Amino acid sequence: MDSATVEKIIKEIGNIAPAHEGEHVGRVVAVGDGVVAIDGLSKAVMSEVLLFEEGKGKKLAGAVETQGELFGLILNLEEDGVRATILGDTSRVSEGMTVKSTGKILSVPASEELLGRVVNALGEPIDGKGPFKKTTLMPIERQAAGVIDRKGVSVPLATGTKAIDAMIPIGRGQRELIIGDRGTGKTTVAIDAIINQKYEPEDTRPICIYVAIGQKESKTARIAQQLREQGAMDYTIIVDAPASAPAALQYLAPFSGVAIGEYFMDQGRDVLIIYDDLSKQATAYRQLSLLLRRPPGREAYPGDVFYLHSRLLERACRLEKGGSITALPIIETQEGDVSGYIPTNVISITDGQMFLVTDLFNKGIRPAIDVGISVSRVGSAAQTKAMKSVAGGIKLELAQFRELEAFMQFASDLDKATADRIESGRRMVEVLKQKNGQPIPLEKQVAALYAAGHAFFLPVRVNKVTEVEKQYMDFLDGQYAKTLASIRKSGQLSEDNKKELNKAMEEFRLAHSELFSST
Amino acid sequence: MTASKAVHALRDTLKEHGREALLPRIASAFARIAEREAKKSDVVLTVAREKDERRAHKDVKELLSELGVETRSLKTQVDDTIIGGWRLEGREHLVDASYKKQLLELYNRVTA
Repeated sequence: MDSATVEKIIKEIGNIAPAHEGEHVGRVVAVGDGVVAIDGLSKAVMSEVLLFEEGKGKKLAGAVETQGELFGLILNLEEDGVRATILGDTSRVSEGMTVKSTGKILSVPASEELLGRVVNALGEPIDGKGPFKKTTLMPIERQAAGVIDRKGVSVPLATGTKAIDAMIPIGRGQRELIIGDRGTGKTTVAIDAIINQKYEPEDTRPICIYVAIGQKESKTARIAQQLREQGAMDYTIIVDAPASAPAALQYLAPFSGVAIGEYFMDQGRDVLIIYDDLSKQATAYRQLSLLLRRPPGREAYPGDVFYLHSRLLERACRLEKGGSITALPIIETQEGDVSGYIPTNVISITDGQMFLVTDLFNKGIRPAIDVGISVSRVGSAAQTKAMKSVAGGIKLELAQFRELEAFMQFASDLDKATADRIESGRRMVEVLKQKNGQPIPLEKQVAALYAAGHAFFLPVRVNKVTEVEKQYMDFLDGQYAKTLASIRKSGQLSEDNKKELNKAMEEFRLAHSELFSST
Repeated sequence: MTASKAVHALRDTLKEHGREALLPRIASAFARIAEREAKKSDVVLTVAREKDERRAHKDVKELLSELGVETRSLKTQVDDTIIGGWRLEGREHLVDASYKKQLLELYNRVTA
């Protein structure tokens, strides 16, 4: 031990004054499955943090190792005590243990230091990069902003996915549900939205928060790796409550994520938060509620499961003073059944939903968004003029194509107008296809959809459309970079831009005439 | 109002409303509450050694009067892990004036 430490200890010993301050305590009477029944604590409040006194009866050395590490969270206030969930290892709690009231509501640390990091549901770093130096504590339960403080959604949030930005546009401050069966690409759509934010100017780029609830740790690690490789981790925070974590942490993770998001929103920054997924959070909450002996309701969920999701998603908003939280909650359906309890709840809370369908996914149409039943209720107000001008008729065209496609299986002779519509629809479907992890910036989306809307791809064989589109984009990048930059900067498709794009299409067609033969 | 008067008044009120049958259930609820309160009223003083008991009793006298506990009903136990000082626990209160707690706080301050 060095002399400085010895001096520090001597100074501290000199400062010791026996304090007789009382603490409000209770006693553990039963413990099991992550839930503890506590006798006493009559003055405790809901959602208060408790501290389990592990050092009692232990020698000083043992107490030093364990002190102050095990917390609990009050979830039930009862006549003769409280019930709480243990935020850690249940095996460390035993009957008769003293529990101290802290008088604090559960909070998570938040600061710029969290960017690029992976934290658990309590905001503690779990990526091995060391502790945070300076943070602000944000309460995980906070009342959402009121009507007066809110502002309408009017600024677009580009996801980089053509099908979404064109037909189901999302605005900053919106809540758009991503719903579908397992393995339909829900996470991919969300991760692409995060990656796409790298094309945004740094001053308006949203902070992205990915909350993994009940996921395999390998999946979360893969996502973190992908974001790192794409350079998206610099503005992203991952909150991880894996499937192996206690139900309490899976229940808390989305609230921790939004609390971190609110830290940035309060500073006037935009935030994009992904909850992957809320079905698993609801399951964790059901488990917790049944252990807390709350009366079960439909599908054994507790009566307040709607409130669980509504109070979480209401915190996503755009503030009058600046700053916003855009939420993309994910819900997993069983066999495409969207009429389940949790899916219908979250559909009714959010400002729209995008359905991902197994059939489309298996046909190779990715993202497998069923545009017929997907909707964005407020996003169109936030769509850029450029996108609006090219995306207007796509939804209708696709809906007509799907109808005709079904009819086509029975009819052999088709009139020319119907056949043209089907051919055009097939090519539009190809144009809207997109590989995962490759979001497309707005100006290129506009250029591609403008071309599709002007029958540019009609003479191209269906299976070559994606290839031709890629070559055309490369051509625009090389020859018409100024036009693309102009669209991006102004967010509009001016007459000059249109002329330039028409010229580009003509030049490309002449230069690659071999590609434009559908026979 | 004395306790017996209060009970009689309650019985009369229940009789007036035709709810006399509730009386046994009210009585058993009171008994349950009383039993629970009695359990909670235990106050335990912990000292490190038996010889520290007298001094600890002197130190906690004021605290006990605040809690409304008579010195006679105080239970004392010896736990050498607290090293020295005393620890008073009961009625949802904990006052820890043990050396162990002070040393732990010292450790936290020095290692922070």
